[in-house]
Amino acid sequence: MRAFAYERPESIADAVGLLAEHGPEARLLAGGTDLIIRLREGTIRPRVVVDVKRIAELDGGIRETEAGLTIGARATMTAIGADDRIRRDFTALSEAAAVVGAVQIRNRATLAGNICNASPAADTVPALLTFDAVVVAAGPGGTRRIALDELLVRSGVTTLARDELVTAIELPQPDLARASAHLRRTRRRGHDLAAVTIACVVRADGRTRIAYGSLGPRPLLVGDDSGLLADAAAADAVKAALLAQLFTDASPSPRSMRASPDYRLAMLHVLGMRAVRTAIERLAGAR
Amino acid sequence: MTAQARRIELTVNGRSRSVEVAVHHTLLEALRDDLGLTGTKECCLVGECGACTVLVDGASVDSCLMLAVEADGASLTTVEGLADGERLGRLQQAFLDTGAAQCGFCIPGQLISAEALFASTPHPTRAEIEEGLAGNLCRCAGYEQIFEAVELAARDGTPA
Amino acid sequence: MSTGGLVGGSPPRVGGIGRVTGSQAYVADIRLEDQLHVKLVALDVARARIVSIDSSAALAVPGVRLVLTAADLPDPMPRFGPQWQDRPVLAIGETHYHGEPVAAIAADTLDAAEEAARLVHVEFEELPAVFTVARALAPDAPLVQDPSLRPGDPLATTNVLREHHYGWGDIDSVAADAEVVVEGTYAFPMVTQFAIEPHAFIAAPDGDGIAIWSSIQHPSWLQRVIAGLLGLPLAKVRVFAPDPGGGFGGKQHAKYEPLVAFMALRAGRPCRLVLTLEETFQAVRRGACEVHVRTGFRRDGKLAFRDIEASYLIGAYADIADRTVGKGSYTAGGPYNTPAVRILARSVLSHTVPSTAFRGFGNPQQIWAVESNMDEAARVLGIDPVQLRLRNVAARGDDFLPGDTLADGQWAETIQKTAEMIDWAGSVPAGRGRGIAVGLKSGPTTGLSYSTVRLLADGSVVVSAGTSDMGQGARTIFAQIAAQELGAPVDWVTVVMGDTAVVPYDQQTSASRSSVLMGNAVLNACRDVQAKIRVMAARLEGVDGAEIVVDKGEVRIGERIWPLRDVLVRGLGRLGGEVIGIGEMRKEADPDHPLGGTAAFYEFNCTAVELSVDRDTGDITIHRHVTVSDVGRALNPMQVRGQDEGAAVMGLGHTLMEHYILDETGRIRNLGAIDYRIPTSMDLPVEIESAIVENGDGPGPYGAKGMSEGALLCVAPAVAAAVRDATGVSIRDLPLTPERVWRALQETPSK
Repeated sequence: MRAFAYERPESIADAVGLLAEHGPEARLLAGGTDLIIRLREGTIRPRVVVDVKRIAELDGGIRETEAGLTIGARATMTAIGADDRIRRDFTALSEAAAVVGAVQIRNRATLAGNICNASPAADTVPALLTFDAVVVAAGPGGTRRIALDELLVRSGVTTLARDELVTAIELPQPDLARASAHLRRTRRRGHDLAAVTIACVVRADGRTRIAYGSLGPRPLLVGDDSGLLADAAAADAVKAALLAQLFTDASPSPRSMRASPDYRLAMLHVLGMRAVRTAIERLAGAR
Repeated sequence: MTAQARRIELTVNGRSRSVEVAVHHTLLEALRDDLGLTGTKECCLVGECGACTVLVDGASVDSCLMLAVEADGASLTTVEGLADGERLGRLQQAFLDTGAAQCGFCIPGQLISAEALFASTPHPTRAEIEEGLAGNLCRCAGYEQIFEAVELAARDGTPA
Repeated sequence: MSTGGLVGGSPPRVGGIGRVTGSQAYVADIRLEDQLHVKLVALDVARARIVSIDSSAALAVPGVRLVLTAADLPDPMPRFGPQWQDRPVLAIGETHYHGEPVAAIAADTLDAAEEAARLVHVEFEELPAVFTVARALAPDAPLVQDPSLRPGDPLATTNVLREHHYGWGDIDSVAADAEVVVEGTYAFPMVTQFAIEPHAFIAAPDGDGIAIWSSIQHPSWLQRVIAGLLGLPLAKVRVFAPDPGGGFGGKQHAKYEPLVAFMALRAGRPCRLVLTLEETFQAVRRGACEVHVRTGFRRDGKLAFRDIEASYLIGAYADIADRTVGKGSYTAGGPYNTPAVRILARSVLSHTVPSTAFRGFGNPQQIWAVESNMDEAARVLGIDPVQLRLRNVAARGDDFLPGDTLADGQWAETIQKTAEMIDWAGSVPAGRGRGIAVGLKSGPTTGLSYSTVRLLADGSVVVSAGTSDMGQGARTIFAQIAAQELGAPVDWVTVVMGDTAVVPYDQQTSASRSSVLMGNAVLNACRDVQAKIRVMAARLEGVDGAEIVVDKGEVRIGERIWPLRDVLVRGLGRLGGEVIGIGEMRKEADPDHPLGGTAAFYEFNCTAVELSVDRDTGDITIHRHVTVSDVGRALNPMQVRGQDEGAAVMGLGHTLMEHYILDETGRIRNLGAIDYRIPTSMDLPVEIESAIVENGDGPGPYGAKGMSEGALLCVAPAVAAAVRDATGVSIRDLPLTPERVWRALQETPSK
């Protein structure tokens, strides 16, 4: 790897200071499972790598609040996949975290990192979108909250300022019952980057949220408030037609070597139907 | 730019080590080149194959995806730490008993991942073993004898 | 489970302790005093004309000792290769494939070498590349190889390196017997060995000679190559060959050892090169292949004729690829009695990674086509696929391959055992399909192995054998043979390998030959020791040697029996010493034979799978995978199982997920582990069962045959046949990825 300097700030203030000082020449290091690969490839060449893991105010915990759950910036995929509350109330996120790479990757990869890396194929982002996740970021001006759907711009790009870092992810818990499911399409059963990632939330009031990734520059969130998708009695053909409408913005890359555009679109529909069906079954089972 | 170095203090296989490392070197490079522990192997360098798996504070990680400096203050276990002098750990013995090691290159990583699996799941099912070792590629074996080794070691019960 | 040490038992692997403790030193683990680190410089294009190379910035990096380009090597450029000496030590004038090195750096640290490699400035002009059979054979195709490398060869002005014509009988005269003719074209992709140990090479000046460390499978061969290139006598070239971390054929022949050797001599210091995984994909692969098969059958399913035309897409340099084409195609007709067979196989050069030996050696590509064709024929004929094989498979002793070794196994038994294990006769669970296929491969056609066995004063044994133990367990086999023959416990046997200064000549480790060839050499060396023990016993007992039997660790004179060790100790007397035995096993060449020699034995395997297909996604779930190999005698059953199941899973790799993806210019897009998929522990059949047939009918020790390629040979056609059984769709191109299966299902009306 090309050489770089390494800093290990112990406070958010120090970290923000370093980011402000070095601007685009600095990169944040959390789990490293994306960053180290890109450093080795040479696709990024920072002058300084800022390790966030000694920052006192950041933690890897998952805390219950009045509004829902707050996940610390350093929480790993392993911790998220093992958390009973997430498994019960944010099932799609639990399922997504469990398939980010293999065990060794999950022990290091952080949820915050998965978001900030802003890959269109980010495994956890579709689930987070369906849960209306909010990202908490700290910068020189203080702390702000950004809806995840507004944070993501396109591959590798978020609305975070250069001198901001994520401190937590908030998952609001609504008052009504709901269930979720997560599916993905890969080239083998073993760990793989997904050609399609999809998450679905079905709520007791009949509203459905679906988010999908790997079919465009960023994962997209769509929804059906008519109650049709959530209706167990509605015919598959009718649901399929509605899904087709919801998925019109899907734009698979024509150049991808992981999957051809027509296959991706077809799988989006197949997985969409399956995810909706599973979420409905889970909601019924939970009642 | 000239390489920046940093002295790190860590425990490796129960022994305190203090070593100066280049900050842009990975933990894998530091283990093999600076600490002389060549049991941990280098293969894909992108966190896919698991040949470089070590335990860091009890968790299995791909050491090719960690900077050496990130291990400052940590407690590491590598394959060299699994035996107690001449006495092999139960997983190592089981790997020999079932013929799990063929060319041997993936084996250090498999052993460490299996150790990590035992720490959370002392009596794993076959499905849990498959999942737990999914991050360790083997090109020689059909994996079956590796799974059988883990099951054998689990039956033996006593900690490694 | 491991058991006792004698032949037929499964003692723990010799060398196993080093493997489970991490103490085994692979080449990359070796550190030499004062070593320099080498990095290669290659262009990120499929083919280019080199205009100029500016090394000045690279040389200015602190710690850089050498920047080598073609200009720094002898003129004419030294070339090497096992079939043609066509491969230059470094690219000269032009790069012929994506990844061909144009320069090499040697520096005090790897960091410095990497930095310098980035600073070598190469001015080049990208040239059009050919990387498909069609393009390579087109009349206007650029020539991959300079015609001057093949003087006098009429094919030298084409990209066809060689055409092989094999067969017997006259198709036209038997065509009338063929009431049913089934034909099709099949494609096998480019895949790479992906051993978990990347190739590694070290060269160091060694007095007036040179020492080489390499992950090489053929140390003696490498010694010859280096000696020839450097103009040194063999005795001044020492090759150390530590056990490779997997080879699968990709480490058989010299790749960068010559380069590193020149650098070491130039720099006067050891030079060490460890390839990245990406670089290994650019160094070795299997030949891709397009095969057209046309088979004629009688109504009752008996074969009338087989007509095959195959084009193997080999790489930019021949390596051993043409041999894989010849050998793989020669038996393409299959293990069947066929009245007339015609085979035309071409080696087609292309601007791609040089293909080389890879488990199966040219056979999997043909077997994919021929066995798929057999399955399609079974459908057309309305005959059960197992019955179709049984009706045609050669019986032991049949002259099924005229001019070659007679069928040497009861292959029908292997087929029947497979069918039984998968319950072929029973009904298939709903939604599933079953498929079956057979695979045949010739063992080595020539061979020469020497071994020395030293029986030391306390009865322990040192065996020297030049075989490469890359995981198949050769060390253990040889230890077992020596233990059995000399009455020593298996853990009293040390096996020395991998050092040409100390271990006698072995031709090579390939073609599943070593249990047979080196095994027999070890056995013969043991017999030599036994003969000397007999002389000792005769002297001690005052008896004629003819009355003494020395067998399997015992000395017998009439009713009296002694352990061999007792006679040894008494016989050596006060001076002590040892008894040295030398053994040789030779299989002579036959210059009149198209392959240069007949098959020492055949590997035969039958594979059957039961699977289901998710029609909406194309996912294949293999519920059961049964593989049965005809091994003669399992010298170590635990190791046999490990090799067979490993070969089966490797076969699933090219069947379900492995392939190089090239862009429209011929550059490889999926270098490295993220986008080149091999089976993980999660990708295995739900149940995989391996079994063996042992009839003691092999030429190796105790009736053994070679094994460990068989179980890979026919995985693909067995899976494709099962897919067809489950869905009604025949797919003729590998791999059967979910997307490709889905697409095939979309394009065909459902069953």
